[in-house]
Amino acid sequence: MEIDIEKKCKSRLETTFMGVKLQNPVMTGSGCFAFGLEYMDYFNPNKLGAIITKGLTLEMRKGNNGIRIAETPAGILNSVGLENPGIDYFEKHILPEMNKYLNIPIVGNINGKFIEEYVELTKRLDKIEKIKILELNISCPNVKDGGMAFGANPEIARKVTGEVRKVTKKPLMVKLSPNVTNIVEIAKIAESEGADGISMINTLLGMSIDVKTRKAVLGNIYGGLSGPAVKPIALRMIHQVSQTVSIPILGMGGISNTEDAIEFFLAGASAISLGTAFFPNPMVALEVIEGLEEYCKNEKLNNISEIIGYAHSDNGIDYRKKLKLRK
Amino acid sequence: MYKSGINNGNYKCSGKKTGFLEDVTVSENKYLGADNYLMKVFSENVKKQVTNPKAGQFYMLKLRNHIRILRRPISLHSVNFKTGELEFLYKVIGKGTEELSILQKGSILNIQGPLGKGFDIYKKSENIIVIGGGIGLAPLKQLIKELLKYKENKNIIFIAGGRNKEAMNILENFLLDSKRVSTFICTDDGSLGEKLNIAEMLEKILKNNKNPDIIYSCGPDKALKAVNDIVNRKNILSQISMEERMACGVGACVGCSVETVSGMRKVCHDGPVFYSSIFYENRGEINGN
Repeated sequence: MEIDIEKKCKSRLETTFMGVKLQNPVMTGSGCFAFGLEYMDYFNPNKLGAIITKGLTLEMRKGNNGIRIAETPAGILNSVGLENPGIDYFEKHILPEMNKYLNIPIVGNINGKFIEEYVELTKRLDKIEKIKILELNISCPNVKDGGMAFGANPEIARKVTGEVRKVTKKPLMVKLSPNVTNIVEIAKIAESEGADGISMINTLLGMSIDVKTRKAVLGNIYGGLSGPAVKPIALRMIHQVSQTVSIPILGMGGISNTEDAIEFFLAGASAISLGTAFFPNPMVALEVIEGLEEYCKNEKLNNISEIIGYAHSDNGIDYRKKLKLRK
Repeated sequence: MYKSGINNGNYKCSGKKTGFLEDVTVSENKYLGADNYLMKVFSENVKKQVTNPKAGQFYMLKLRNHIRILRRPISLHSVNFKTGELEFLYKVIGKGTEELSILQKGSILNIQGPLGKGFDIYKKSENIIVIGGGIGLAPLKQLIKELLKYKENKNIIFIAGGRNKEAMNILENFLLDSKRVSTFICTDDGSLGEKLNIAEMLEKILKNNKNPDIIYSCGPDKALKAVNDIVNRKNILSQISMEERMACGVGACVGCSVETVSGMRKVCHDGPVFYSSIFYENRGEINGN
């Protein structure tokens, strides 16, 4: 069943995120929605605010060996390790399909092993008209080089953000890792290096052990935890970061329904992203979009943005003012 | 034998709807011994012929316990288009399948599918071998039914293997009365049929028969590898149905990828049925999948 939300959304869910106009603030988390076409049997992806691509790298990556998925209480661990076909294949084979079927903004997710790779890939994605926002992934827990190692080290995070910033005029969002002692510090660095927005949180490093084999379930031993289990941590971190930066936050981490999404706006997210929730419920995005519209109506809000950061001690007023200043 | 390659998985979108989400009613959920269960459900979509599931495809079954968030991928055992009945044969291996096993007649279950690519049926294959080991027998009932639709498929040799006699109770639900199907049973402990594994049984049969036109197989990894080595050595066209842990079931999360000679392939989307040649460098692509 598809819900016709287009008309209704225009007034209450329409938003501008990092200068890009979106019909609603609901996106898809990188790596959970591939390149936007896989869920077309269940709903029209053009009903979303934006789609974030699977993590892209310059060269093709095979990802990690062995078991890559393990279910844990209210969550899943994955150790996919950024398997992707590489930018050449993406441009030649996937982009034409996206152009054919998708007419909403696309966010390109950028990964690299070295700063030079991040920069090179950014240059390539910068030239693609379809891609309206870039998401710099310095937080993947499943790759040995780059990935989380970049996001957890303030100096490298500073350098990679700064270098990437130099080679693109597209809005740049930095995806933060929760696997750090002080996430606020890294967020501030991203902002100071010219990021236009922050996306958070990436998965939490975790592990699962098979008691029969007495060994780690995942081939890569450790993996990234996502799903409802991580939601309280994501909310806490967004609440902290949104009070210290004045660039918008794309919030994600365990959102499974409308109520979860509302919590993220209240914590300080300007838009939200759904990931793991698609697996049990392929219709989740439409349900959340419709639910947010209903919430705005019931709460007599003109726009969902009115509740951003409301859970802050000043009811989010300061944060919203800061966000407006940046526009 | 495995070689890295470029990813040329299929990213093309046909724009045609193939998978559905549907609430179905459980009409039977019977214990067959050795942790195996047979579940029958009634599907409106099948009855109205909105979906046309095929042998080798699978469904993602939703659990009700929200602590376990992933759907469980279960192969299609059989479909009856007249009654709208779908059959799933599954083994209880963890908490998720245990939850499925306690569903009773009348329970409502949300299913997603049919998903993935099934077996290719060749209408004029005179000699065919179908091999199943353990719960890998599950997709083969529908496969044999589809093969029997074509009169030209004259001789079907069905090799069914399992741990012991009890594990072979699942064969009760196979329709093997056709004169065109010769069944060979083997068990690890010899309590039913011959004391052989499915690969050994295949070797034995191939010694006494000419090579078949095609071999279809599904079973535990180790057995599939042994079967694959035989078909590779003898250069027989072969399809295997693989099993892998999945999260999305639609090709989005890349959790179930396997390495092949022509790149990484997603078991849920590019499979679960693959041509065996895809794992062997020296065979080239025979009807490359």
